[in-house]
Amino acid sequence: MNNAFDLVEVLEGRRVVVVAGAGGVGKTTVSAALALGLAARGARVAVITIDPARRLASALGIDDLGDTPHRVDPARVEAAGIHMTGTLDALQLDPQATFDRLVAREAPDDAARERILRNRIYRHLSTSVAGAQEFMAVERLHELVDSGAYDAVVLDTPPARNALDFLDAPERMTRFVEGRGLRLLLGPRSGAGRTGWRALQAGGHMVMSVVERLTGAQLLTDISEFLQSFDGMYQGFSERAAAVRYLLASDSARFVVVTGPRPEPAGEAIALWRRLRDDRYPLGAVVVNRVHPEPAGEGAPPVGLAGLLRAAGAADPDGLAARAAGALEAARARSAADRHEIRSIAGALDAPPITTVPALQDDPVEVAGLARVTRELEGG
Amino acid sequence: MQEPPLIDRRLAFVLGKGGVGKTAVAAALGLGLADAGHRTLLVEVGAETRTQALFGIAPALDDPVQVRPGLFALTVDAELATQEYLSLQLKVRPLVEMMSRSRAFHQVTQAAPGLAELVTLGKIWDLATTVQGGAPLWDRLVVDSPATGHGIALLEAAGNARELAGSGPIRDQADAIEKVIRHPAATGIAVVATPEDLAVTEAAEAVGILRARGMPVACAVANAVRRSQFSPADAEALRAVLADPAAGDPERAAAHAAIAVADGAAHDAREVDGLARESGLPVAVLPHVPDLAPGSGGLEALSAALMSDPAVRGSA
Repeated sequence: MNNAFDLVEVLEGRRVVVVAGAGGVGKTTVSAALALGLAARGARVAVITIDPARRLASALGIDDLGDTPHRVDPARVEAAGIHMTGTLDALQLDPQATFDRLVAREAPDDAARERILRNRIYRHLSTSVAGAQEFMAVERLHELVDSGAYDAVVLDTPPARNALDFLDAPERMTRFVEGRGLRLLLGPRSGAGRTGWRALQAGGHMVMSVVERLTGAQLLTDISEFLQSFDGMYQGFSERAAAVRYLLASDSARFVVVTGPRPEPAGEAIALWRRLRDDRYPLGAVVVNRVHPEPAGEGAPPVGLAGLLRAAGAADPDGLAARAAGALEAARARSAADRHEIRSIAGALDAPPITTVPALQDDPVEVAGLARVTRELEGG
Repeated sequence: MQEPPLIDRRLAFVLGKGGVGKTAVAAALGLGLADAGHRTLLVEVGAETRTQALFGIAPALDDPVQVRPGLFALTVDAELATQEYLSLQLKVRPLVEMMSRSRAFHQVTQAAPGLAELVTLGKIWDLATTVQGGAPLWDRLVVDSPATGHGIALLEAAGNARELAGSGPIRDQADAIEKVIRHPAATGIAVVATPEDLAVTEAAEAVGILRARGMPVACAVANAVRRSQFSPADAEALRAVLADPAAGDPERAAAHAAIAVADGAAHDAREVDGLARESGLPVAVLPHVPDLAPGSGGLEALSAALMSDPAVRGSA
């Protein structure tokens, strides 16, 4: 199935490409293939992966894919038939390191920074608070765009049960750090004067004493310290979240939604695309990954196969031909099911730009495989 | 010490990367245990349900719903479990309601590292240890765990809470939970992977982490493993057809399709070997079942394959 348009061309000139979708659909591969295509056209590109994609790293010739960008060797890509006039850097998100840098930047002084970095709540933040990883991913994206070292940054989004979580993460995280209700109860300068506040506080203190009875006092002390140490940084956080939102909603960004040709990820992709459209985020395309191509022969049965197998010296040509015919029938059914799924996505979304990538035996393990995905995304 | 096979442990956790078929494997295990005469509860974690697609019946949030004879399903949601926990601890309804409505309380529960996991695990522990009329309420519990990272966090919640909580009722509860969760006679973890490099690597890493923390890993499960009905000699004859200029499009397509089946099976067999080698666990091998919808017989086939596998039922 050849694609009607060139997705890399659509994304050319954008500063940010966000690749989103359900878990297990091949987002990382699509992200890397798009980044490769953009670098081939002269852009200085960085791709941020979320999953530890060791095989992708080795495909790109990077031993240790970590928080710092690693340059991909152009000779390696050249060998796969893609000439890069730009550059390609790859890195893997380290949520805690990203947050540590954010704290270091926003903290008013060294003492405040140290207080935060030591806090137990803070140290568990990147794993305990819902949306923290997504927040860090967006923050890392922002860092790289701000650095001015790249023309384009491609972000492979974290695997979420619900791919939509990604969009709400910055605000959720900001709200959490702000901790309005909690500050009132725990902070030293809380709820000055007004009767309404005081009433709320009375109930609140009861809540806190119950919590304390259940968890021991240490937890509340830690949380209180955590929130206090973020005093004066909240403003910076919320500005940062607003800036990211602005960037992602601007014409400099494009969202690419990846799915497989199966009902569950397709359902998530449809919901994600609608949400992006309703919230006026800039849409790139839907990529349907791992599509089974239609076998040749236009549905005709392989009537001459037994004869050919006999000529080839097969032991049981009739039996083998019948089994091979069964395999062909199954391959045709699979391909038809995939095309049906692609049509339902198109129907549900009023014909969005859809591009497909054929199923490979395994996810690309060599840069040649990645280059093949790039070529498919360029229109096949 | 000989550890009992997975099917003999009261509490089974099914763990794995997103998209490897954890829910189907958990459902297949639950179905098999129920068929073997155990009163079994299938536990889903989180607000979304995927079990419904397999049984055609949605699990309820508060009460187990029977989905097959002897098999019940329940969704454990952290927020509801927290409220339930509060009611048990406080016993004063207005106080519980006030807590549940309190925004500050929600923020504390959100901020407290691992509290959501702890109440979820606590609820599972409670279900696993409840006795009614002198007999356990459930013979078997099968937990469809969240994706790897979160699944490990769930299993470790009690251990982490013991460190963080210092003293108090939560600490005591965490101790009690740990006793059950870490005991290989009571609890078994099955790590699921599809025969793909990434899934196998992640599964092996998860096994390493769980082992290092003393968690009772029972077996690995290779799901959706393709098999071939074509021998190497068959493949050779089919390749000869591809080289034959007399072959037409349908004949070539059939030869291609058959060779792809053989290659796919060989590829998957290598990945299954890799899973066994990297995890050091017995591996149950499940076929690729395209249709698991209720009435298709797919889930029943998966269950039969799982329950007859020595990696799950023991070698005796």
